[in-house]
Amino acid sequence: MCGIIGYVGDADETLSVLLDGLSNLEYRGYDSAGVAVGGDGLRVEKRAGQLDALEAALHDATVSGPVGIAHTRWSTHGPPTDDNAHPHTDERGRVAVVHNGIIENYRELRDELERAGVTFASETDTEVVPHLIARELRGGLAPEAAVRAAADRLDGSYALAVVVAGTDALFAVRHDSPLVLGVGEGESFVASDVPAFLQRTRDVVYLDDDEFVRLDADGWTVTDADGAAVEKEVRTVEWEAEQTGKSGYDHYMLKEIHEQPVSLRQCISGRVDELDGRITVEELDDVGAPETVQFVACGTSYHAALYGARLLRAAGIPANAYYAHEYATAPAPVSGADLVVGVTQSGETADTLSALREAGGRGAETLALTNVVGSTAARESDHVVYIRAGPEIGVAATKTFSSQLVGVNLLTARLAGRGVDRRRDLIDELRGVPSDVQAVLDGSTAAAVVEEFVDAAAFFFLGRGLDYPVALEGALKFKEITYEHAEGFAAGELKHGPLALVTSNTPVFAVITGDGEAARKTLGNVKEVEARDAPVVVVTDGAAEAGRYADHVLEIPRTDERLAPLLANVQLQLVAYHMAARLERAIDKPRNLAKSVTVE
Amino acid sequence: MRLDSAVVLAAGEGTRLRPLTKHRPKPLLPAANRPILSYVLDALVDAGVDDLHLVVGYQRDRVQEYVGPTYRGRTVTYHVQEKQLGTGHAVLQARDAIDADFLVVNGDEVVTAGMVEAVMDAHSATDAATLGVVESDRAAEYGAVSLDGDRIVELVERPDDDSYRLLNAGIYACGPSLFADIESTGRRAGELYLTDAIADQIRGGNAVRGVRIEGLWSTATYPWDLLTVARDLLAIGHVDEPERSRGVYVDETASVHDDATLRAPVVVGPDAAIGPSAVVGPDTALGRNTTVDAGAVVEASVLDIDTRVGANATVVDAVTGQGVTVGPGAAIPGGEADVRVGTTVHEGRRLGCIAADRATVEGAATVAPGTLIGPDARVATGAYADGVVPESAEVRR
Repeated sequence: MCGIIGYVGDADETLSVLLDGLSNLEYRGYDSAGVAVGGDGLRVEKRAGQLDALEAALHDATVSGPVGIAHTRWSTHGPPTDDNAHPHTDERGRVAVVHNGIIENYRELRDELERAGVTFASETDTEVVPHLIARELRGGLAPEAAVRAAADRLDGSYALAVVVAGTDALFAVRHDSPLVLGVGEGESFVASDVPAFLQRTRDVVYLDDDEFVRLDADGWTVTDADGAAVEKEVRTVEWEAEQTGKSGYDHYMLKEIHEQPVSLRQCISGRVDELDGRITVEELDDVGAPETVQFVACGTSYHAALYGARLLRAAGIPANAYYAHEYATAPAPVSGADLVVGVTQSGETADTLSALREAGGRGAETLALTNVVGSTAARESDHVVYIRAGPEIGVAATKTFSSQLVGVNLLTARLAGRGVDRRRDLIDELRGVPSDVQAVLDGSTAAAVVEEFVDAAAFFFLGRGLDYPVALEGALKFKEITYEHAEGFAAGELKHGPLALVTSNTPVFAVITGDGEAARKTLGNVKEVEARDAPVVVVTDGAAEAGRYADHVLEIPRTDERLAPLLANVQLQLVAYHMAARLERAIDKPRNLAKSVTVE
Repeated sequence: MRLDSAVVLAAGEGTRLRPLTKHRPKPLLPAANRPILSYVLDALVDAGVDDLHLVVGYQRDRVQEYVGPTYRGRTVTYHVQEKQLGTGHAVLQARDAIDADFLVVNGDEVVTAGMVEAVMDAHSATDAATLGVVESDRAAEYGAVSLDGDRIVELVERPDDDSYRLLNAGIYACGPSLFADIESTGRRAGELYLTDAIADQIRGGNAVRGVRIEGLWSTATYPWDLLTVARDLLAIGHVDEPERSRGVYVDETASVHDDATLRAPVVVGPDAAIGPSAVVGPDTALGRNTTVDAGAVVEASVLDIDTRVGANATVVDAVTGQGVTVGPGAAIPGGEADVRVGTTVHEGRRLGCIAADRATVEGAATVAPGTLIGPDARVATGAYADGVVPESAEVRR
């Protein structure tokens, strides 16, 4: 959501490190940005709008100092204005704070401070923090103690980074909001996300909840809530900073769509043993045989969860998928015999973390299916399976969804048959998936198909069985980046209501894979919409001869019925992308959306 | 002199390599088991070049996806040549990004770091250009060169004359004035060639230096040449994978059954799987995620990424594109044949077959020597294929 970068090091480099960091965090989505550079004094600049506005404001000034913090904000409390942008300061401009998350008791704190005569400059929840710190400083506390005392007063979620005028140190603390520490030579960093400082160091320390960091010229120290020193492991991340470059593609999303053959090969590497006819996922070696499996997830990951639950049920294991935000407040019955799987690309999705904690608290085994090594979900769950898709920058998830689908297939094979696939039905086809995806990328006619529907009123996506989650994902991707109205329906539900929306100006995309009962029935639904003169595009492997009833066909190679939906989804990724490109949308940073939603 | 920047030409399809170039340009075709382009970029990086400019065009998505935003930590800038109007036109695409002496390197010829270093060392700021030249009895098939001392006196494309013994290795060091020189060069059939611009310099009396370079220079003109390229690379062990025993290179992530036989020289790429009793090699390269199932025999062949060879199949003298399937018991017995490309017949070529991306040879099918199978084409179970099988076509019994 919002992005934080903090730096302690060379005074002449501070500003450029902060601005580079902000630009590396741009992909998270933001509507305002700001920096504070400290040392003897404190200089704060912040602007609503894009980074250019902030850089213009700093253009004529020589800003230097050995410590600094910066922030990209995505509005939650109060609209995007210069005042509401971070960093926030106390009345005298001696304390500057950047914050990710939501302070739930800010109203009470603000009332309390206002009664004491403090004047607020913004409408944000964050601004209570610098005022609280300033009050503690006036009360005689040293800066570090003052920051701790202020943090103790906060309820809710936060990652905070603080600088205080006259102090060459930076203080940071997290609670339910991600924060990582970067360790360089003679310099150190804090950030909400590793890419912010990856150009300068790959050595990182992942902070746990309620840990407190002090960065200064001597290096870094981490302490727990009581002030006791904590030993932290320094890890080296393997991503390259430049992996966040577009390498000649017009958009990250298109680059990531094209990376799928490679990222899928990476996902299955070493996990499908062709010679032994066995699927092995090392991370699952100590998972038992759960009675039921519950998936919790949001957004695109929820669609992977729906698909995973269907796979498990088909394999004889009771399974369901829940929206994590619903699960956290209205949980399903769960016990120690059950496995709760959180699907989250970033491993930082606040709703999914809450649901996993809720389930773990009630005794269930928890498993995180995630892309980010060392993420909160990975660290907090009993088990973790990495999907190995590599960094994904486009806000609209593409390659990570494909890898999630393979991930739940591996999980299912492991839970249902202990990974044995002697006939290699699935193994052969899994190893063929990268090539099948390449075939879709090489041969897709999606760009030409969308050209027919540029002026359509709305777009509907149908599917049944394993194709249903793909219909939902196709619609989600489409609405996210084209801003056109799009809905996905279970094909069978059509005549129970949605059919009323179907007209000659509402193209219907039907996902029909295989030639089983689900395919035949969906074909019946296709005829229903044809009767209402709706243009029909089928995404199909041709098995059910669905093309005969369609105005356009987007073809996929034939493969195992479990994997065909993955290929169909690649076609729908291209449909969404090409329509959004045709409509000149901000494809990588759609309005109002953020890559990982780290507040509930 | 030391040069920081290189322009790598990777925009052309390489039409004589069809049908392998249906979905990707020639620089991405396999030299042993990784793209030709990777050898070029490695040579540049190892020679100390850290600013890489790739001119891309035909199927550029594939190049961009393969190389990414950086290569071994060096920045890569892409320049799009929308229409492939010759090598000179390609170089011009990078004009705005370059302001000092720089290298131009063909992206579709395997070269070594030593060659790049030799060209850089020989080049000085007073030279209009410096070209690497390689001694070869096949010079007349490529760009041939005549030297007088260290000066190039003649540069001629595919001369009809076997007396030439030196070929242009496609490694050029140039001054920034080259861009203006190219612009003032005449076009041939609408296309603008780098070699024409350099030939003009020679005629104009400017210093164009030639430096004899040694090492492996290898390229493919026709699809079957990829077999020669692989053999050349394997002969000197110029592959990435660790050497398990003499001439047997196997990636750590590959799984090779204890009862399989690897005959040197052979290279087995990442995530490849070789089943029991299979025999792979000699002169064979397996790409990433390839499978050779139980009892299959693969000899003197290049199998690109994701290719699968079924149980007891035989594959000899063959080049497969990506994702090709050879079914159980299928036979590609190999040997010499006359191969027709367009209107030309190449007589007596040693070629089992060329199978383009995602072609399928089903179980128990037989493929005659010299057969060209197009992308997505299918030779049905038990069928016999010969000659040319067009894209997406099906050969039935």
